[in-house]
Amino acid sequence: MSTVPLLEAVPLREAVPLLQVEGLSCRFGGLLALNNVSLAVRQGEIFGLIGPNGAGKTTLFNVISALTPPSAGRVLWRGALIPASRPDQLSRLGLARTFQNLRLFDSLSVRDNVLVGLHRFAASPLAAGLLGSATVRRRQRELEQRALELLALVGLEDQAQLPASGLPYGERRRLELARALATEPQLLLLDEPAAGMNPAEKDDLCGLIRTIRNRFELTVMIIEHHVPLMMRLCDRLAVLNFGERIALGSPAAVRQDPRVIEAYLGSSR
Amino acid sequence: MDAGLLEQMLIGALLALSVYLPLRCGQLSLATPGFFAIGGTVAALLSTRIPSFAGTGATSPLPALLLEMTLGGLLAALLALAIGGTVLRLRGIYLAIATIALVEILRVITLNLSFTGGALGIFGIPQPFATASGYAGFTLVLLALVCWLCARLEQLRLGRAMAAIRDDELAAACVGIDTAQVKLQAFVLSALLAGLTGVLAAHFLNSWNAKVGSFDASITTLAFVVFGGSRTWLGPVIGGLVLTALPELLRPVGDLRLIVFGLVILLGPVLFPQGLITPQRLQGLGPWVAGLGQQLRGRVPGPWRR
Ligand SMILES: Nc1ncnc2c1ncn2[C@@H]1O[C@H](COP(=O)(O)OP(=O)(O)OP(=O)(O)O)[C@@H](O)[C@H]1O
Ligand SMILES: [Mg+2]
Repeated sequence: MSTVPLLEAVPLREAVPLLQVEGLSCRFGGLLALNNVSLAVRQGEIFGLIGPNGAGKTTLFNVISALTPPSAGRVLWRGALIPASRPDQLSRLGLARTFQNLRLFDSLSVRDNVLVGLHRFAASPLAAGLLGSATVRRRQRELEQRALELLALVGLEDQAQLPASGLPYGERRRLELARALATEPQLLLLDEPAAGMNPAEKDDLCGLIRTIRNRFELTVMIIEHHVPLMMRLCDRLAVLNFGERIALGSPAAVRQDPRVIEAYLGSSR
Repeated sequence: MDAGLLEQMLIGALLALSVYLPLRCGQLSLATPGFFAIGGTVAALLSTRIPSFAGTGATSPLPALLLEMTLGGLLAALLALAIGGTVLRLRGIYLAIATIALVEILRVITLNLSFTGGALGIFGIPQPFATASGYAGFTLVLLALVCWLCARLEQLRLGRAMAAIRDDELAAACVGIDTAQVKLQAFVLSALLAGLTGVLAAHFLNSWNAKVGSFDASITTLAFVVFGGSRTWLGPVIGGLVLTALPELLRPVGDLRLIVFGLVILLGPVLFPQGLITPQRLQGLGPWVAGLGQQLRGRVPGPWRR
């Protein structure tokens, strides 16, 4: 197992980071879920976020995607403060995410879940749409084709017609990924995409994440508990513990960090 | 069947669709009777006060009716647009209560304005159709058109966004749907439909007063949708038709009819929690109905319809 080729595969551009988190804190009553967290995600990298349960990883994603307002600190997008304050505006800006506890549109078919992800590209005047003008129909066919391509990418093309509620767990995770990709993001936040998968499935997912990163020129931020997998997959990692960022760097550096070892192996405290 | 009853049933179905539209994106709005009352008031005022709307022959001119429907619908839609942004921030039962309050406010205003005839209302509204069958025929065409539009809507970006919001509003926002905007559109469409239905109803009933838009009506129209099902457009239509007809059809059993009617409303949701009509049940009815469903859903060709 070597991480070197992976690092070389991603040219580290010295330009402004895609995403910067500066001094972020998030308080829930007496609980400080995030405590002065700063980090920067570079364009094109796979950035891992690890840490014990309740460390604040999901909360960090929620703050970045404007679902939870921070108590302090700020988030910069390409070096600038984001004027957008709603999740849908951020989506248009190029941010997409999946959820730790899957949030699919269960009454819709698998294909339609992805079509909802293509919402932004389907704009047509309501009247033309209702009457089904030729242009609107052609556009709709293109989008449906695109949805099927995305489903094929995650291996769900044969299930396109099924209701999303009927899919088994692992396939639901992949559908959520396809739906997120449909929005054509630049930054993709994946919250435990491999949860509940067996080791072989996890490896497949790793391959898939690399493929989509390369194919769509994405930047990926991923939360996952399986540390060896994260060491292989990620270009850089941040480690959270009790809301604090206790380490940041390459997998090799993070692995040797005494604070990380302490957080994971526990200490005499 | 009595054409007059048929007309009432068709109006019931149109109102049920008006409740259904916001519900399709998870918004429990009970404002439909308020918008219905606005449409009716517009019709009653225009056709009794303005001679060219009343016409000179035995029946009032059809173009006048169409113009009233446009104006009544638009006025209702404008009010929905004006208040929607604020009201739709409320969720669930709070939205329901706020919209009931809206209906009550509109009722009290109508009751206290002199030009709407106060408690007595407006009488002698001119008739665009000489017979009840004339009304029923016209309303049937309107209902068919609205059903077709609702079926198309389910296939469109807006319809899918509405369904997504009902399933998971937060996830919908995260894939780029401006949820406030979509909810507002559904609310405005609902008001438009209720408004123009009110125009028809005012002519058909011949008189119009504040009682039309009451709390009772809010609950009745909601019952249409709960009974029929809110997953496809067909549910509210069936609910509206059946529940409007039932009290009339039960007349022979005398006072017992109210009890039977109450039982139906009570047992409907118990026996069919999703309503009478669900997509699954439609599929289960066999290929013919499923085929009809596909036909009604619009014929957009694509690889998934092979
Ligand atoms: N909305 C909320 N209200 C109150 N407390 C919250 C809320 N969201 C998260 N928390 C708390 O904040 C802490 C961090 O939660 P978070 O979900 O971010 O952890 P996590 O690192 O994602 O954990 P896991 O690995 O279990 O998913 C936890 O103690 C959690 O209980
Ligand atoms: Mg989490």
